[in-house]
Amino acid sequence: MKLISCIKLITATSCLLSMHSYADINFSGFASVNAGKVLSGTGVEHYDVPPTFLADYPIVSAYTEEWDMAPESLFGLQVTADLTDGLKAIAQLVGRGAEDYSPEFEWAYLSYEINENWTVQAGRKRLPLFYYSDFYDVGYAYVWMRAPADNYTWQIFNYNGINLMYNTDIGDWSLATNVYTGKEDDKENKLLGDFFFKEETREIWKDMLGGVVNLSKDWFEARLTYMQYTNERFIGGQQTTWGGSDSRDGRFYGASFNFDFDNWFLLSEINRLDLEFDGNLDTNMITLGYRINAFTPFVAYSSMKQKGDGVFDGENHNTTSVGLRWDFHDSAAFKIQYDDVTDNSYDYAVAGDSKSLSFGVDLVF
Amino acid sequence: MNFFNKMLVITALMISHNALSEVVVIVNKSNSGDVDATLVKKIYLGKAKAFSNGEKVTVYTLPTNQDDTEYFREKALSKSNSQFKSYWSKLVFTGKGTPATEVDSAADIIAAVKKDPSAIGFVNSNDVNDEVKVVVNY
Repeated sequence: MKLISCIKLITATSCLLSMHSYADINFSGFASVNAGKVLSGTGVEHYDVPPTFLADYPIVSAYTEEWDMAPESLFGLQVTADLTDGLKAIAQLVGRGAEDYSPEFEWAYLSYEINENWTVQAGRKRLPLFYYSDFYDVGYAYVWMRAPADNYTWQIFNYNGINLMYNTDIGDWSLATNVYTGKEDDKENKLLGDFFFKEETREIWKDMLGGVVNLSKDWFEARLTYMQYTNERFIGGQQTTWGGSDSRDGRFYGASFNFDFDNWFLLSEINRLDLEFDGNLDTNMITLGYRINAFTPFVAYSSMKQKGDGVFDGENHNTTSVGLRWDFHDSAAFKIQYDDVTDNSYDYAVAGDSKSLSFGVDLVF
Repeated sequence: MNFFNKMLVITALMISHNALSEVVVIVNKSNSGDVDATLVKKIYLGKAKAFSNGEKVTVYTLPTNQDDTEYFREKALSKSNSQFKSYWSKLVFTGKGTPATEVDSAADIIAAVKKDPSAIGFVNSNDVNDEVKVVVNY
C-alpha cells in the first residue's frame, strides 16, 4: 500500500512539475562554410563592375578574383518552443558572412495545428516563391552549392503575414497546399541599393496574396504556385513612379517538377514574374544528378530572360554548372561546383560573363 | 577521411543486417487502424499525421547512428541517413513538419508505444515483445 501511494505521489508530482514548465524548448540549426573565386570574368565595364560571380542575388554574395569565404558562409539557429496541444513558437536567426555575421531574424512566427490536416501560422516567414526559396539558407537540404543564382533573383524574401496550410493524402499521393497573405517593407534593400542603384533603396511589397499546391508520390513531385503583390519603391528617399503611378503590380507564376528513379534524379523549375513596366522575367532551371553511395555528381543549367513591351535588351543571363556533393558525415556534406555564367545584356548587364569555382561544407544539427 | 575504411564498414554493416536482423514497426495494442508499408512511409516522411481511424500519430525513432535506424530508413523509406536528414531539414526549417521524437533504445520505444495509443515506432525484431503490436516487417 505504502509503495503504491509513494508511486502515485511521485507520478502526481512529476505531472505537476511538467505542467509548471512552460514549454519544451528545442534548438536546431544549420551552417555553411564556403569559399570561392572567379577564375576568369569580363565584369561590366560600363557599370564599373570588376570580374564578378553573383552567387546569391538577394544578399549580394559576390565572388571576385580573390579567394573569399565571406560571401556565402552562414550560420542559422532555430528555436522551437512547443507549448503543447499543437501550438508552437518558432524563431530562426541567421548570421551571414556577407553581412559580417550580424544575426537577423529571418523567421519568427506562431504555428497552430488545428488538426492533422490544417495548420495556421502567423508572423514573419520566408516568402515561398520559388521551389527552394523558403529553405534557400539550408544548403544541406539540396545538392548544389546554392539554388541556381539566375533564378533566385527576387528582391524580397520575407513577409509578415498569415499562412494557412492544408495537407492530405489520396492513395499513394500526398497533397500539401497553402495560401498566404502579407507585406514586407525593406528599408535598405541590399540587391537594389548596393548592387543596382548604388543608392539607399526602400522596397515595399504589399497586398501579397499567394498559394502553393504540392502533389507528390514516391518518385514524383509537382509544385505549382501563384503570387500577386503591389510594389512601391523609394530610391534615395525619392519615390519611384511608373507611368505616373506610385505603385505597380507584379504576378508570379511557377511550376516545378522533380523526378527520382533509383539513383537518378531530375529537378526542374519554370517561373514567370509579370511585372508592370518591366515586362516578363522568365526563369528556368534543370538539374540532372546521380547518386553513387555517398557521392552525388550533377550538372545544371539555369537562365533568366526579360522581355516585353518597352523592354529592349532586358536582363538576359544563364549559368551552366557541374558539381559534386559528398555526404562524408551523417549530418554534413562537402560540395564543390564550377559555374560558367554568360551575361547577354548590355543595358541590363548584371555582372558580366564569369567562370568560377566554389566549395564548402554544409551541415545541420 | 579514409574512404576505403568507410566502404569496409558500410559493407560490413550490410552483411550483418542480412545475416542477423529485421526491423519491425510497432503500435499500441489498442490501435485499431490499418497500418501498412505505404502509411509507415508517409508517417516517417511527415506526409501523414494520423492513423486510418483518424487518431493523431506520435512518431518515435532511434538515434541516427544506430544500425536499425539506418536499416529502417533504407528499407522502409528508400532513403540513406543523409537523404533522410536532407529531406527533413527542408521541412523542419520551413515550419512544414515536426520530426520524430528520438529515444535512446528499443526498450524506450517499446515503453513509449505501450503507454501511448497514438504512438508508432520501430525496433529490431529481436527486441520486440508482446506488449506491443507488430504491424509491418522489414
